[in-house]
Amino acid sequence: MAIWEGIITGMAQAGFVDMPPSVQEASRKVSIVGIGESDFHLDYRAERERADGWEPRTVEDMCKKAFERALADSGLKRSDIDGLAMSYTYGGPEPSEMATHFGIQPKLGWINGHIFAGPLPNAAGRIMAGDAEVIALVFGIANRSAGRQFGGMTFASGAAGPSSYYYHHPWGWSSQAAHWALMAQRYFAKYGKGEEDLGHVPMTVRKHAATDPNAVMQKPFTIDEYMASRYIVRPLHLFDICLVTDGAVCVIISEADRARDMAKVPVDVAGWGHSLITQDKMKVMIEDRLRPQLQDAGGQALRMAGLSIDDIGHFEGYDASSIHLVNQVEGFGFTEPGTGLDFCIDGQMTLGGRIPTNMNGGNMSYSYMQGWGQVPEIVRQLRHEAGPRQIEGLQASMSALTQTDIVHPVVYTRGD
Amino acid sequence: MAQQRPPRMTGPGHDTFWEGCGKGEIRMQHCPDCGHRPWPVVTSCEQCGSEKLKFERVSGKGKLVSWCTFEQSYYGDLLPVPWDTIIVELDEGPWFISNPKGFTNAEAKLGMALKVSFLDCEDQHGAFALPVFEPA
Ligand SMILES: [Zn+2]
Repeated sequence: MAIWEGIITGMAQAGFVDMPPSVQEASRKVSIVGIGESDFHLDYRAERERADGWEPRTVEDMCKKAFERALADSGLKRSDIDGLAMSYTYGGPEPSEMATHFGIQPKLGWINGHIFAGPLPNAAGRIMAGDAEVIALVFGIANRSAGRQFGGMTFASGAAGPSSYYYHHPWGWSSQAAHWALMAQRYFAKYGKGEEDLGHVPMTVRKHAATDPNAVMQKPFTIDEYMASRYIVRPLHLFDICLVTDGAVCVIISEADRARDMAKVPVDVAGWGHSLITQDKMKVMIEDRLRPQLQDAGGQALRMAGLSIDDIGHFEGYDASSIHLVNQVEGFGFTEPGTGLDFCIDGQMTLGGRIPTNMNGGNMSYSYMQGWGQVPEIVRQLRHEAGPRQIEGLQASMSALTQTDIVHPVVYTRGD
Repeated sequence: MAQQRPPRMTGPGHDTFWEGCGKGEIRMQHCPDCGHRPWPVVTSCEQCGSEKLKFERVSGKGKLVSWCTFEQSYYGDLLPVPWDTIIVELDEGPWFISNPKGFTNAEAKLGMALKVSFLDCEDQHGAFALPVFEPA
């Protein structure tokens, strides 16, 4: 069918799955109708406490919990689910096996990549092509229980990582955090800012997490507490770095017309885009802070949705680090380059500000679901079900998977 | 005495780089088709796809563009923490991760003029010269 003409393929090495092109004809054809998450907070606590008889959660069980919750949230019957897309970062059972585990008999099942770099457009394309009507997308990751550490002598996932992770060993430079540290230091020196300014970013995100009972870290902290916290890679403190967590997220999508008859206000998938760094990675990361890629991909997603950045009232960005969230808030155009920290200190990234950002606590406080965790919060906000952290009258939100070298924003609109 | 360091990347291209270091030179790839200078070593030009990349000596001069200090150890007993690393913009363009010599990160200034120096090191592949940077 026409939607797959010009399909974007061949980017698996960068982390992307195949996705339909960012064209207006594909906008709002598919809606999110159900969301579910595993018990991030409880599972994290249990893993830390390791009471007698504790065992790590399996990826199967966390996926099952997220699926059951999404199904209940959608009000659909098991028999309504005719597509199952599984995404795992560190592997998991085949979709057929998981279908049995979930008690469903989908006519379509596939492995839909891993991180949140295209799986939603990919599944939306299959609905538009008529391959399925209602698809459950399930992501699962079990890394914390396995005791993974990111950085050091080996790239811990066992997969080939970006060369920057391991190429610079002889100089003692490694880890994802080190990328963000070089970025933050240059930002400070260039714009005359410091740690006590940057600290407002994780502090704001943590304040948001304090209203989400499922967030792993809910205890607010002050700037003094931030400044007193230990460094990981100077100038970054512990609070500037994302969590490492296990968990699962399920997102159920449907053809948009049918979604209008379902239990909850549908959330339409209005636009998407993608971009990656193809050369001079260090310079583009540290000097440009991915602005060319953010502008490129953001523009694709917004044009597809027929919106401008001024229409977006809520942003769930990829806070692998505090400074990287600033990169995205500036790079997508919510504020000008170099103004992001003042913007945050001024309250523009929280309720009542220009662009409330990472309202469930993001990667730094909620859970590190590799971009998937952005979707449940966006759905709650656009349904106007977000309780104490609800953004009043919200109509359009944006998520962004933004790692060290790839960008994948998605734009969503309230479907009533 | 040679410093023990975590291992280099070795193989075609990488070996050429380290051989250059052994002779007191930074040799980097240069693309005759588009002029790009990739770093780290690549198999084809990341800008134009050309496979005619040639190693050429670069000046070893540059300026400091950022720095960071590891406070959490990623290399166990091999390297002490705090551990200073820097990134240098070479005059020829590439951004090069390295270590400071003759200054610490506490004294670092954006835009400081730097020049290369070579440190006697050893890893599991043997002795090698590691390019580090000192004030010019
Ligand atoms: Zn070239």
